Amino acid sequence: MRGHVSRWLTSAVVIAVLLAFIPMGYAQQKLKVGFIYVGPIGDYGWTNAHDVARRLVEQQLPVETLYVESVPEGRVEPFIDRLVAQGAKVIFTTSFGFMDGTVAAAQRYPNVIFAHASGFKRARNLATYMADFYQVYYLNGLMAGALTKTNKVGYVGAFPIPEVKRHLDAYALGVRAVNPQATIQVRWLQDWFSPPKAKEATQALIADGVDVFAFTEDSPTVIQESAKKNLLSFAHYSPMYKFAPKQVVSGELVHWETIYLDFLRKVLAGKYSADNLQDVDYWWLLAEKAVEVGAEPGMMINPLFVSRLKAATVKTADLGTLSVYDLVQRRIAQMSKNPVAFDPFAGPIKDRKGVLRVPAGQTLTVAELTSMEWAAPGVVGPWPGEP
Amino acid sequence: MRVGPSVRQLGPFRIEVGQPSGAWTLAVSAVAIFAAFIAAGGIFWAYGVNPIHAYAVIAHDVLVVPGAFPEIFRSTIPLLLTGVGLVLAFRAQFYNIGAEGQLLAGAVAATGVALFTPIRGPMTLPVMFAAGFVGGALWGLLPSLLKLRLNVNEVITTLMMNYIALYFVSWLVTGPWRGPSVRGFAYTDQFPLSAWLPLIPGTRIHWPTLVLGVVLAAGCAVLLARTRLGFAIRVQGENPEAARYVGINALRTTLLVMLLSGGAAGLAGVGEVAGVHHKLLDPNQVSLGYGYTAIIVAWLARGQALATLITATLFGLIYSSGDVMQVSLQMPFRVTSVFNGLILFFLIGSERLLAYRVRWAPRRAPADPPASAAAPHRPSGEEQWE
Amino acid sequence: MGVVDWILGVLVRGMALGTPLLWGALGEIYAERAGVVNLGVEGMMILGAFFAFAAAQLTGHPGLGLLAAALIGGMAALLHAFVSVTLRANQFVSGLALSMLGLGLAGLLGRGWEGFPLSNPLPERSILPPLGALLAVAIWALLYHTRWGIILRTVGESPAAADAMGIDVALVRYLAVVFGGMLAGVAGGFLSVAYRPSWTEGMTGGIGWIVVALAIFASWDPLRAIGAALLFGTLFHLSFRLQAWIPPEPLQMMPFAFTILVLAIAARWGARAWRAPEALGLPYLRGER
Repeated sequence: MRGHVSRWLTSAVVIAVLLAFIPMGYAQQKLKVGFIYVGPIGDYGWTNAHDVARRLVEQQLPVETLYVESVPEGRVEPFIDRLVAQGAKVIFTTSFGFMDGTVAAAQRYPNVIFAHASGFKRARNLATYMADFYQVYYLNGLMAGALTKTNKVGYVGAFPIPEVKRHLDAYALGVRAVNPQATIQVRWLQDWFSPPKAKEATQALIADGVDVFAFTEDSPTVIQESAKKNLLSFAHYSPMYKFAPKQVVSGELVHWETIYLDFLRKVLAGKYSADNLQDVDYWWLLAEKAVEVGAEPGMMINPLFVSRLKAATVKTADLGTLSVYDLVQRRIAQMSKNPVAFDPFAGPIKDRKGVLRVPAGQTLTVAELTSMEWAAPGVVGPWPGEP
Repeated sequence: MRVGPSVRQLGPFRIEVGQPSGAWTLAVSAVAIFAAFIAAGGIFWAYGVNPIHAYAVIAHDVLVVPGAFPEIFRSTIPLLLTGVGLVLAFRAQFYNIGAEGQLLAGAVAATGVALFTPIRGPMTLPVMFAAGFVGGALWGLLPSLLKLRLNVNEVITTLMMNYIALYFVSWLVTGPWRGPSVRGFAYTDQFPLSAWLPLIPGTRIHWPTLVLGVVLAAGCAVLLARTRLGFAIRVQGENPEAARYVGINALRTTLLVMLLSGGAAGLAGVGEVAGVHHKLLDPNQVSLGYGYTAIIVAWLARGQALATLITATLFGLIYSSGDVMQVSLQMPFRVTSVFNGLILFFLIGSERLLAYRVRWAPRRAPADPPASAAAPHRPSGEEQWE
Repeated sequence: MGVVDWILGVLVRGMALGTPLLWGALGEIYAERAGVVNLGVEGMMILGAFFAFAAAQLTGHPGLGLLAAALIGGMAALLHAFVSVTLRANQFVSGLALSMLGLGLAGLLGRGWEGFPLSNPLPERSILPPLGALLAVAIWALLYHTRWGIILRTVGESPAAADAMGIDVALVRYLAVVFGGMLAGVAGGFLSVAYRPSWTEGMTGGIGWIVVALAIFASWDPLRAIGAALLFGTLFHLSFRLQAWIPPEPLQMMPFAFTILVLAIAARWGARAWRAPEALGLPYLRGER
């Protein structure tokens, strides 16, 4: 029996070793592009949006894509190693937490092109990119300010980090531009994806009298939960209109493919190489069509709410008195130009403690936007790290 | 492990009684893993990947691709340290499920030293390891006291302590310990360079932790086999009644075992923050479930501290295989959960075969590990961690 | 808003999350009463959540979804029963394996099902919460006032004695584990057809592990499980309600701290009825004792 077992083991090992040396794959003509995701593709939020874009890229460009999902922060480097071993020449890492790992990998693979989403460290072969929502949140805020009856709008935030704070502040500035009495009530989840937490945070806001919701969480939970009480909401990231067609007013949609297509076209054309990315930072907004206002592609505002938005009027410094609906349209037009004719963070802006954050006649730089910690006036609730 | 009378009635496998258990254990486990591979092959097949091709790719990309092989040991390190500690605990019949929390406690203690004490220079790392050991040990203290004083089931209390640690770390990194330099993200600041563990050049293996793990495994093997404490642990684990007769202080033994076990997990936590992350961050990103996997590592090692060297490496291999499935075969990450679940089921399912084997039997071949030779029998076959 | 209204509002929210906790915990209590720990609750729940959503979406009947959830939960538990009862393997490891397998399978099968709302969801409050409370009472009556209850508890306390009485220990444990799994499946199904009527990968988010704690916290008593589930659900809700004053982590940590506390108190001062079944977690092999 012992002899039998060891014979069996020996042959198994031999087979395994033989298999291991079978040459794999074949010569690839197409450019291989790797994507490293922080969450599961099935999250219907951030990672899902990147994957939708990846598939569009594969359809439209002569490239082959590889992806890895749910990658823990500490393991981004080994996964980059494996993607490079698979022949990836361009690698996108799609989470802030991957920053240091991507920087290290970029040093180790000087001939591979890297691009890191939402970070701020670049190198000759490492670019950064972000499709940011702050303008869209401002526009959502304008609508929310007009639609709230309790003068309390809510925001369910994922983490109290600059990205979410920036969106929240833009949203709050929009709300206050239309409705100076309104407050913006905040709850934090300390989680990017957690339906149970998002649900109870929504309920806590409902109990506080909030009647319009916006959020940063990778599921439609806030929409579904507020819709049960027939309360209004703005969708986040993915097309969520169908989760509450009677209550979703508008929202934010992302088109990562605009950035990926542009970047990869320039790589294919030889314009971007592993040598000239030091200053390549995509900070793409409405004007570049990287983001869209709406809860469903092509539908900017749910038709059910158009008449109410047209009925509400607002007085502005630059455009005079007009309906909120028109204001939204004008602001979109202003922000769809390059350079923009309007910025939500145009001074003077004081934070909720009364400290002047943006002097009159100025706007914020990208660096200031991506490190924003202060809370806009009207924001009520905990604000960890408030300066 | 069932010994004594039950062996008599065991049908066709009776013939095998008395053979060395090590080889048999290896053989049965290998067959179980092989069977799991066949079952998992069904999943590959369902995804339209030829299973043979799939395993060939995995073998190639885990073992042969440059730079891939050392990666196995990166997950082996925490599993080894934690697993060795758990072997000790399980030998003393203390079912510590709380390694995950003890690991986190070690990580917290090390972070505290690295960021919030003035200790810098060559002493930083040793002090961090010492603090991590103490942190892990303290985290295991409450469950062991409850067990000893009030006979509260330690499986449950240690499991609960994991969650408490998880929320504690989460609170630390979003609250008081959040670094001023991290742009508002939920991290501490990065450790000073003197708190970074050195790596083996060309790899990401933080070798001091690996060395520590190997030394600890060897040390625990010696401890179990050759020392009074080891004798006490074995006797108490296998026959608490007998332990009382020979005057073994159960309180002292269990406390020592639990301190060692928690401390070892704490060391693993130090390795993760000082060797991989260089900061404290979201608890789920720190431990990656190592504390739970280590339970399986220890359990597969079947009471032998040195065997964790093999079982921890096996799981490092399985982790790496999971990575390869995702990258090289472009499969969803949940495939790895299915794969690992299947392997586990087959491994524990094969326990039945092993149950017919006598490993710590009275009449043993001289080649047997001395650790088990003197161990008295347990009165019955109802213990769980065999 | 008055204090009473505030408290009532909080309790209603506690009930919402308390419902899957209660159903899951009743299942776990039932299995553990027969001596089998099943740490696979998270896996059974996520399978239940996916199958409930898929069945409800395909048939248009959320009730059929719950039925599917019960069936898949039972089937998953059957695997655990086979490994831990028939093969007498380690129950804790088998449960961990079941959790992995369940999360993995549900994640794979659920590909492409995310991003759609359930067209015909079940109301969140009117059906499963009261049914859960009724079920708790029924299981309590079953355990303490029927012959089957005596058999089940004997198997959990002293399988050898049960065996001597002519009871088929393995059969009883199989039935208990499978029934427990069915309840866990329903708990998961509640999440995807009522609590948040849609499917998302990983949507149980660790609730299954809280269930394991809850079964213990309730000291294996179905009636106490009602209050315990309500308490855990309420604490979770309060962690958002009180966020302006208290950071969420301490409140979310409390269920686990409470469980330890209750165990300690029960061990120090509690009666026998507060303690774990004697043979919990131990495989039974006839003739060994």
